[in-house]
Amino acid sequence: MKEFALMMIGAALVNNVILARFLGLCSFMGVTTRIDTAAGMGMATTFVITVSSMADWAVQHYLLDAFGLQYLRTVTFILVIASAVQFTEMTIRKVSPSLFQMLGIYLPLITTNCAVLGVALLLVEGKMSFLGATLFGFASSVGYSIVMIIFAGLRERLALAAVPRLFAGPPIGFIVASLLAMAFMGFSGISTS
Amino acid sequence: MSRDSHTVEGIARVVRISDGVAWFEPEQTTSCGHCASSAACGTSSAATGGGNGIGSIARRIELRRFPLEATSGLRVGDRVVVGVSERALLKASATAYAIPLLTALTAGGFAQAVFGDDLTTMITMAAGLLAGLFLARLAAGALGRRGELAPRFLRYAAPNETCHT
Repeated sequence: MKEFALMMIGAALVNNVILARFLGLCSFMGVTTRIDTAAGMGMATTFVITVSSMADWAVQHYLLDAFGLQYLRTVTFILVIASAVQFTEMTIRKVSPSLFQMLGIYLPLITTNCAVLGVALLLVEGKMSFLGATLFGFASSVGYSIVMIIFAGLRERLALAAVPRLFAGPPIGFIVASLLAMAFMGFSGISTS
Repeated sequence: MSRDSHTVEGIARVVRISDGVAWFEPEQTTSCGHCASSAACGTSSAATGGGNGIGSIARRIELRRFPLEATSGLRVGDRVVVGVSERALLKASATAYAIPLLTALTAGGFAQAVFGDDLTTMITMAAGLLAGLFLARLAAGALGRRGELAPRFLRYAAPNETCHT
């Protein structure tokens, strides 16, 4: 249990997908202008990454490793992720058409989110158990969501601030992101003893 | 979409009016299609021939059409601003995504603790996910019956108004 807890904290905060591994930067800059859209995107991404982590572990374990097809890993995972997004989209539409109308817009963006593929490749390299791989995917995506929401909050405040014209827009966004990344480096000093 | 302190706003276009009900199609509101790579992007409508084939943006937007009671003076082609409460958006996200994930992870953790076997954990987690989706369906139904998920007509959109203004 302690192993899982440490692994999850490490995946969410210490080795954060966005700020430490620099994955998912497109959605990090593109969908963080408001907190509500960042939260919606974060929850959708959390669902897709967790489901695709489950599927990727099964495909790696029972197909690629079993038949010596490891060289097909990247292309197979891309297919699994695209299928997971389609599955999520269809499921949400069946579960509740009203929810789909509100939330469906985020799902196409996730297909091209490199964080999803990055997490899948990381969990394979980690040679984890099924539960470990799923929790790693879940924790990584929770870390992604936390950073998205924090950054959206900062950008909402930035929109009201007097920023010099030279830095207005994405430049000040990147400067703030770099400060946020430095703040998250503080988590790397966590001691478990 | 823009927002005041309580309402998330979006722009939609009236595509059909029948029997006092107006059908709206939301305008594309994501960053997708606006970036420098949109011409080469696999998710853009251009990548699928610009039509409304399966998987295209046009097709996805078509699937997101929603009905509202037609107010007087509303005509096909009108651009209007519709809104949902910020709270409803977060509730909808939690219902659709958090409930199935929590049941799946709980079931998986339980199976791992009891059986300690990957295959059993996988099957139990998949069953937990399905159970969570069923619970999400019930919760979404309850939200829908209370009218919390339905967008509201707010006003007509100004000629140059977009989701980014």
